[in-house]
Amino acid sequence: MKNKPRITVSRLIERIVLVFLLLITVFPFFWMLRTAFVANANIFSDSMSLIPKEPTIVNFKRVLGLSTTEESLAAGGNGQQLDFFLYLGNSLLFTAVVVACQVTFSALAAYTFSRLRFRGRDALFTVFLSGMMIPPIFSMLPNFALVRSLGWIDSFAGILAPYLLITPFAIFFLRQFFLGISREVEEAARIDGAGRFQILTRIVLPMASGPLTTLAIIQAVGAWNEYMWPQLVGRDDSVKLLNVAVAAFAKSSPNSQPDWAGLMAAASLQVIPMLILLIIFGKKIVSSLGFSGVK
Amino acid sequence: MKFKKTAALLSAAVLLVGCSTGGSGGGESGDDVTLTYSLWDENQLPAYQSCTDAFTEKTGIKVEITQSAWDDYWQNITTDLVTGTAPDVITDHVQYYPELADNGQLLDISSYVEADGIDLDQYTGGLADLWVKDGARYGLPQDWDTVALVYNVAAAEAAGYTADDFANLTWNPTDGGTFGKAIAHMSIDKNGVRGDEPGFDKNNVQTYGWTLETGGGVVGQSQWSWSALSTGFEYLDKNPFGTKYQLDDQRLIDTLTWWQNQIAAGYVVPREQAGQLGLVPEMEQNIGAMVSDGSWRITTWAESTAQEFAFAPLPEGPEGRVTIINGLAPSITASTKHPDEAWQLVKFIGSTECQNLVADTGVVFPAITSAAERSDEVRTSKGIDAQVFLDEALAEGGTAYYPITLHATEVNNEAQAVIDEIQELKVTPAEALPALNDRINAILEG
Amino acid sequence: MKPTLMKAPPNRATWRSSDVPTALLYLTPALLGFAVFYAWPLFRGVQISLTDWNLLSPAEWIGAANYQKLFTDPLFWNALKVTAIYVVVNIGSQMILGLGIAVLMQRLRIGTGTQSAILLPWLIPNVTVAIVTLFMLDPNVGFVNEVLDYIGASTHSFYGNSDLAIYTIALVNTWRNMGYTALLFYAGIQTISPDLYEAAALDGASGWRSFWSITLPMLRPITALILVVSMIGSFQIFDTVSVATDGGPGNATRVIYFYIYQKSFEELNMGYGAAMAVVLFALIFTFSLLQLRALRATESDVN
Repeated sequence: MKNKPRITVSRLIERIVLVFLLLITVFPFFWMLRTAFVANANIFSDSMSLIPKEPTIVNFKRVLGLSTTEESLAAGGNGQQLDFFLYLGNSLLFTAVVVACQVTFSALAAYTFSRLRFRGRDALFTVFLSGMMIPPIFSMLPNFALVRSLGWIDSFAGILAPYLLITPFAIFFLRQFFLGISREVEEAARIDGAGRFQILTRIVLPMASGPLTTLAIIQAVGAWNEYMWPQLVGRDDSVKLLNVAVAAFAKSSPNSQPDWAGLMAAASLQVIPMLILLIIFGKKIVSSLGFSGVK
Repeated sequence: MKFKKTAALLSAAVLLVGCSTGGSGGGESGDDVTLTYSLWDENQLPAYQSCTDAFTEKTGIKVEITQSAWDDYWQNITTDLVTGTAPDVITDHVQYYPELADNGQLLDISSYVEADGIDLDQYTGGLADLWVKDGARYGLPQDWDTVALVYNVAAAEAAGYTADDFANLTWNPTDGGTFGKAIAHMSIDKNGVRGDEPGFDKNNVQTYGWTLETGGGVVGQSQWSWSALSTGFEYLDKNPFGTKYQLDDQRLIDTLTWWQNQIAAGYVVPREQAGQLGLVPEMEQNIGAMVSDGSWRITTWAESTAQEFAFAPLPEGPEGRVTIINGLAPSITASTKHPDEAWQLVKFIGSTECQNLVADTGVVFPAITSAAERSDEVRTSKGIDAQVFLDEALAEGGTAYYPITLHATEVNNEAQAVIDEIQELKVTPAEALPALNDRINAILEG
Repeated sequence: MKPTLMKAPPNRATWRSSDVPTALLYLTPALLGFAVFYAWPLFRGVQISLTDWNLLSPAEWIGAANYQKLFTDPLFWNALKVTAIYVVVNIGSQMILGLGIAVLMQRLRIGTGTQSAILLPWLIPNVTVAIVTLFMLDPNVGFVNEVLDYIGASTHSFYGNSDLAIYTIALVNTWRNMGYTALLFYAGIQTISPDLYEAAALDGASGWRSFWSITLPMLRPITALILVVSMIGSFQIFDTVSVATDGGPGNATRVIYFYIYQKSFEELNMGYGAAMAVVLFALIFTFSLLQLRALRATESDVN
């Protein structure tokens, strides 16, 4: 039993450090949630208690646009509301389309680069890969000019366009995996008369479900986090993403006190879906993220 | 083949979404016109909503108002102009219109003004003239604003000041005058020692005599403009449309140095605290006892439930009492499909009918002097005494204009960083302002 | 474990001509995307940088004037400096903490529940993180300052003080990303054969000793990979600055992305913004090449 951890001073210290790290990771979210239940008028008087002294759900009502303007002003807000479900829908649509397209197109490209043979293949791959070095802010200026001349400002087409077709990192990532899996099954299927597309969809992709999931998670987190481009080309309510709306809500009243309670309610609503996701799929996410660095 | 189908469906969906959201707007026929009109101040939204309602009733032209906060507002307008989707009529600021006009984004309304015989003298303070650039007119004044002092009544009484004392404050950049004494005296540390008493602990201040409002750019309109202007300082070699800022003027250096000394002495809310809090809460929580502020926030102060505030005229400086008088105006964007209808709206906003409706809400001073007086009566009937703003606007030689130049955004960004550093006591005005002036003038040249 | 570039099987002369149409078909989206959103912007970006263009009036060719201006613009150099501070503090702390957490995960054999808790901040957008930390660190009502005040320490305006602001932003983003970095390291650690540790233990090596002589060297390739990827991301700092400080106070947090954005889209000085972007691109390109070389060096070191 020499693998059994011994209880020593150093183990104890390690545990304390871990608990401390966990605490600083999770505590801000707890505090956010707590403050979301405090009325703005009580933010100062009730700034330390772990549980709100007079809990209220008015902030959530405010943020969701379920309260009247008088009610929100009375709660100490600035009357600004957030059309939460509209923006949430926009963000979900954006994320879903980005992930679906990126995974699909990257899988096709990665498969091509790892299995098909044609002149200039490796050179082309290197060229694609070098695209990773172009800073997004660099492409953003010409892309804005392009999207503008296409008349795609304030449309999903404009917000989505630069993300959909090619993601060098994703191609690189999947190609690495495809190269690592054995070709024998593929060769056998080929002899049985299966076409390229069938081999890809019936054999290669199912074998790659692990890395595909990993990639989907990483890209989803990335898309959910996007801010700079969407806030430039998607300012209209019909296409505004949640991030953009929440940031605008935060900046809406520079000379009065930030609407902390409202902001924390908005932030909570943004965090809760992720929390649920993590509770249900945490194990899956954690184990599949391990992939991204190693394989 | 499920895969292919999914992919095909997806791309079709993307295209559909793109097309359906991309091609909106346009296509109204005949007299069924809807104008879009934008403004930034949420306090004024109800006033202009009633105004546009009356307009629709009168003309049948519908108006859709969009409101977004100041920063967002200008970013929206910029993006909209760039993409040709700007509102037909925008609420405009003297700071920004020259650049827009210079790039052909605004409609010259001078022929309309002439044809309809608009009386430009009815507007207070000669503000109508500010909207003329190179012979073309880009707006009709809708309101005006001036700056005055706001103070916490309880704090003033505790310090032994009467309203009369506040009405007769003096200021100069050498010893600060009675105003300088007042902000020192109204500062109290945690032990109850006042700023002008021995033993004042400037690192543990309970209430600061003066409140810091961050921002303000190169102008410091509500923050410090009045003190600099009262020394005879002028922002530009010529206003409007000067070609050179004069920020290296010794009088401005002296003024901002005096302010910096007050910050160092613990009489002004430190920038790092003020920046995270905002002006209104600073005053409402009695972190600061006094401040200068623009008339656009009269109702905020008068209706505050946290503290009782009162207004007082600005202190008198070496060259008298000077406030910036400024105003907003509706401008028509050049991309509008309905220039005639848009003009009708602009004309209506500039008319006594609309301005009286605005006056009745009491939130701003309408541009037409009679309507401004009416708004003052409305406030008086609510028990708000904001007469000082009006007195200052009408005082002979007591007003100055906002510096109007091209490249205002760039100039303000440059200046704001330096003002921040001065307020943080990182640089002295004597070393920072001349360098800033060179950079800003290089921007104006380029 | 092969964290580095794998070679595809050689493109022998026996390549099947039947592959060409399929390859073309499969690569169509990527090729189109590369042409429109990578290659074309590369050309256009350089082109714009040689003009004076405000998006409202036609662009005017001004040659290298924007580049000349850039070399004498103190704010450009300030932006590079501030970005460098950010990257060093952010990457440094993130790597150390990530590795530390990974080692703790392994030594304490902690379960996926705890692991996913540590991952939580990474799932939250930067915008939200900025808002939540703005509140936590607020000098007037923030929890952190209330605690500091309670224990008698001096309070700070973490985002509002120009001496602290950029460090605050760097550490806040470390807080957001350290869980993810830790998971990557953890995956690397798990591939190290336990035999090595057992042999070391038999030799009487302490935990600390085996960390230095086994864990660290074995993790070198993956460390290099994480470093490259995090570094590219770290340079792109924008969201937190945009939401929390707007580049201020003064110029204390005006990082290069924010400065370019401001020049291009707020002040509509597209030419100047593009010129700065070109220089940034050149810098990052050089940097990445150097890093890749270093990466190759470690690779041959281990093999």
